[in-house]
Amino acid sequence: MADQEVKYLKFKTYLNAYCPYCHQSFNVEKKEVKQLNFKAVYKGQEITVSLSPYLDVFEIETSVPINEGEVLDDLICPHCNKSLINKEMVCGECGNTVAQVIISALSRLIPFFICLKRGCEWHGLTKADERRIKLKIPRQDMPEQDKTMRIHNHLEVPYGYTSELASLEAGRCLQCKTPGCVDGCPVNVDIPSFIKLMRENDYDGAAKKIKEKNVLPAICGRVCPQENQCEAKCVLGFKDKPVAIGKLERFVADYERKMDLVRIPVIKNKINKRIAVVGSGPGGLTVAADMAQLGYSVTVFEASHELGGVLTYGIPEFRLPKSIVQFEISYLKELGVRFELNHVIGNILTIDELLEHFDAVYIGVGAGLPLFMGIEGESLGNVFSSNEYLTRMNLMKAYKFPEYDTPMPRGNKVVVIGGGNVAMDSARTAIRTGSTEVTVIYRRSPNELPARLEEVHHAEEEGVRFRLLTSPVRYIGTDYNMVKSVECIRMELGEPDASGRRRPVAIENSNFIIECDLAIVAIGTGPNPIIFRTAPNLKRNKWGYIDVDPETNETSIPNVYAGGDIVTGSATVIQAMGAGRIAANAMHKKLKGN
Amino acid sequence: MDNFNSVNDILDFAIQSEQEAVEFYTKLSQNSNNSQMQKVFSDFAHEEMGHKARLMDIKETGIMETSSEKVMDMKVADYIAHVNISPNMTYGDALVVAMKKEKAAFKLYLALSERVNDPKMKELFLSLAQEESRHKLRFELEYDENVLKEN
Repeated sequence: MADQEVKYLKFKTYLNAYCPYCHQSFNVEKKEVKQLNFKAVYKGQEITVSLSPYLDVFEIETSVPINEGEVLDDLICPHCNKSLINKEMVCGECGNTVAQVIISALSRLIPFFICLKRGCEWHGLTKADERRIKLKIPRQDMPEQDKTMRIHNHLEVPYGYTSELASLEAGRCLQCKTPGCVDGCPVNVDIPSFIKLMRENDYDGAAKKIKEKNVLPAICGRVCPQENQCEAKCVLGFKDKPVAIGKLERFVADYERKMDLVRIPVIKNKINKRIAVVGSGPGGLTVAADMAQLGYSVTVFEASHELGGVLTYGIPEFRLPKSIVQFEISYLKELGVRFELNHVIGNILTIDELLEHFDAVYIGVGAGLPLFMGIEGESLGNVFSSNEYLTRMNLMKAYKFPEYDTPMPRGNKVVVIGGGNVAMDSARTAIRTGSTEVTVIYRRSPNELPARLEEVHHAEEEGVRFRLLTSPVRYIGTDYNMVKSVECIRMELGEPDASGRRRPVAIENSNFIIECDLAIVAIGTGPNPIIFRTAPNLKRNKWGYIDVDPETNETSIPNVYAGGDIVTGSATVIQAMGAGRIAANAMHKKLKGN
Repeated sequence: MDNFNSVNDILDFAIQSEQEAVEFYTKLSQNSNNSQMQKVFSDFAHEEMGHKARLMDIKETGIMETSSEKVMDMKVADYIAHVNISPNMTYGDALVVAMKKEKAAFKLYLALSERVNDPKMKELFLSLAQEESRHKLRFELEYDENVLKEN
């Protein structure tokens, strides 16, 4: 059957139900109300029962009242008067008697079971039929801005699910008894539960369920690499495409925000202890939210003039609108968290000085030190680190020049060195500045690109070119020391080394030139050194990242904790949040004991 | 450059080179103002001592295992500009210094192999060059794995 001919049982599908014996229909329509009509026996008395004909809708009408928890003695076909009870099966939820009817779906007749206990919501297909049918529901694509239009603006590219699409996608979830998706999430969001609430049209409840574990769902739903986390563990993904968990999370978070349903919890028990958080990125915000909700007095110190850390300076508007970041931060402000801008900890205040005024400190400063390749010509004009380029464009809003007084780095022919998400962000930002050519240069093969596939796909759609298995060897400048081209060398994958990995090896005499007037180096970042200048007893590993106790994220300085990129090196938003959660729990445990 | 009259002359030269490398890294370790980097350079010195010990063993036993297998050359060291040696060097800088040092040793042994006519001496120089190539690869792999993660 071709894909377009496939019909599928979507959530709230109208069921045509038949008697398995006489094959007559149970469906009736009375005064525009559609029902499935049966006879039944209850406490020895013959009654009539009407059920909703919509899948996963549990309305029921009976001719005599039946209390919650009571079980019908029998369900009978009103046409042939035969009992519909299936003696070989029991309800998968409560173990009580079930009746069997036939429904027509996907051009075949499928047994459909109904529990006879009032209040038990179980009805449906056998697990085998459910898997076969639900598998037919395709993963719902996210509506997006047209690819030729969107390179002329910085508006968010994905529009988000409509409620119809969200409902359809939520209906795909199998509600596994042992959900692997929960383990796949670094903060263990109860994914099946929030999706179940969505299926009950309780989007507000779904948002609250997510927020039990993740205080930034609108952000995570947009930037998390779900394909490597929760969705990688989705059972549906083994044979088909996984449930679009991230897109559902985004829908729910956006719904809560747009419908003004965000409620600030009342903090009943204030704790007379003070917490300092250094850095207002995702890790710092998580610690601040968790500790504030526990009753602590929290102050967040941010080095720049705007809050959000990498959420603000690193991720472009078209991937993560700053209004969303500001909205999430305003929630923290409502919780009572104080924010101090333009406070570079390590300069204005040292860690030791913070400890004189605060009971605990969390360091979430990230890894914002740009890395360069160290090749000839990197000091030429218009060779930028991705940090500087994106900070100018995102934080300083150069793309809105002259409304914002930040000159926009421009190039007609732009090269971006690197293959991660930052490289994609840089390339997609450059193409929006009107560059005629934007080329990503990456020294390994397509299979090894570290960027999210979605971002690579978006970049390709927007006209970004890719030169893979290519490495720059030097930049060449004009007479006035501005970059005019980059000399590259072709690479090939060598034999696997001891680790089994095939390394890129330069092909002799394969050098060639790519013309460029702007180069962006996005090969990774290192730890920001500022904070360490005045904290020599803050133990670090050889890479310069902070050493922490993996159980608590406490550093070598008592009551000083750290997490996120400053501990692990460049990682994801959600991993930083997970680290923040561990530290907050450990902080609270220790301070409570004191 | 010394004249090499025998295999032992070559081995003495190589042993002396490894000793100089030990002293080089030991000095870097003493001058570093970062305790982690002190350990890094101390570990590098220790590795060079291992190389020296191996060469001394070869001189004593007269047995040198050679392999015709070509050692992968990632050429990472070839294009990175010179790193200034300072007390504030990072681990990435240290790897660059080390790989460039090994590359220089490799090139030296290769050049020396072309200067001698005796087949045994030539073979020994080539083996030493191959060994230095392996040392360089070790640093290049770590640099590739950890510094060039997104490239």
